[in-house]
Parts: sequence; structure tokens; C-alpha cells
Amino acid sequence: MKRGVSNKTILDKFTEDFCKIVDKHCKYIICSGFVAISHGRSRGTEDIDMIIEKLSLDKFKKLHDNLIKNNFECIQSNDSKKVYEDYLSKKDSVRYVRKNQLLPEMEIKFAKDEIDNYQLSSRIKIPFTDLDVYFPKIEEAIAFKEEYLKSEKDLEDAKHLRIIYEGKLDEEYIKQFKKRIKKIKL
Amino acid sequence: MRDETHKDQIERWAREVKTNTNWKKELKPFLDAQIINAMIKYKKILSLPNGKEKLKRIRNLN
Repeated sequence: MKRGVSNKTILDKFTEDFCKIVDKHCKYIICSGFVAISHGRSRGTEDIDMIIEKLSLDKFKKLHDNLIKNNFECIQSNDSKKVYEDYLSKKDSVRYVRKNQLLPEMEIKFAKDEIDNYQLSSRIKIPFTDLDVYFPKIEEAIAFKEEYLKSEKDLEDAKHLRIIYEGKLDEEYIKQFKKRIKKIKL
Repeated sequence: MRDETHKDQIERWAREVKTNTNWKKELKPFLDAQIINAMIKYKKILSLPNGKEKLKRIRNLN
């Protein structure tokens, strides 16, 4: 179904601009709330969550420098070594914004287990969203929200996604993925 | 806990998105307004005494 391309939101533009740069350096997925929002869920968010493959310091430096060159800045520090050593390699996330803007933010973290890595390897682009960015499979996004995140907001996001993809979801895949989440993340 | 009418609203809107190809046009002002409004308020907070620190705490930043 053809959907308009002229209605991109501030979040859409920010996400696409950011992902275009990251895509040159590593695999990534956009996950959590923005998956639902890009499917029309009527709620806001200030930050977009991104998981990237684990990089060496050298490779991360190239990515970070490219983001800085393209008018983004890291809230924690603009020193790539500090961002890498004090945050990412300690499994903490870091946040990037457009230079001199407070919002929106891209919250980045390294893949930290086999589930994150699996999601990176099975990532997809989703035509419904009209966005040129990679997401996890919808079944995985639903499983995460229902099994791991579980807040009221997340369960509502999952319900929204279930309605959008009614009749098209692989329920067995969701069930198995929830088992993996339970085993590895919980 | 939210009530039934809230659950109904989630479902009603999801069905609207599913069937109305123009859903993004309807949603865009709402989503953009949230960001624009927060930006304006954050700038106000920054102008308060210890504004930078307050904003960090509000946004739960390291």
C-alpha cells in the first residue's frame, strides 16, 4: 500500500538522518517505543533506542567522528575514547542529539547478548513505516514488549502492533522468542 | 490502572491506522508538538537557577 512520504515527523527525520550515518559503519536496529510510534501509535517519546553491533574502539571512533562531522553531538562527551571506555564498553548507553538541540535523542548501546546479536542479524526494513531504517522483526518487538519490558505503555504498544499485523503474525515465533528472552535476559 | 475506555481508544486508533492511509498526516502535528513543547519547556528550565542540573535530573541523565 502506497503511503505518503511528505508527512515525516521530527522524530522520523532525526532517526533517518542518524541511521544513514550509522549504517555506513555497523549493523543497527531501532527498537522499543519508536517501533510502535512509527506504526502510528499515538504517543510521544523523547528518545529513540538503538542497538548497534559491538565495535572496537577504532571502529567506534570512526562512527562517532562521522556523527560529529554531520552535526550530531554526544551528551555524555564528544571524546570518542571516553564515550567508549566510560559508557559503551561498560554496557551503559549514550545519547546523541543534533548539535545545540535538546531533543530528540538517540540512545545507543552495544549488543550485549545473543538475543541482541540475533535481532541485528534478522533485522528488516518495514514498508508500513515509510522509513528507511532497520527494525527488529515485528514478532520480536512484540515478544520484547510482552515478555521483558511489560510496562503498561509497552503492553499498549504491543496491542497496537498486534492489531496492525492481525492475521499476519507468526505466533509460534513469538512464543519461541519469549522463551529465549526468559532464558537469556530474565 | 487505566480504564476500559482507554483500552478501547488504543484499539480504535490502531484500527484507524490500519485502514486510513493518511494516518500519518493526522498524527504528525501531535507527535511534533510533543517535541516542540518539550524543547520550549527545557529551554525555560535551563534559564532557572541550577537549570542545567535540574534538567539533567528531570531527564535522568548521567
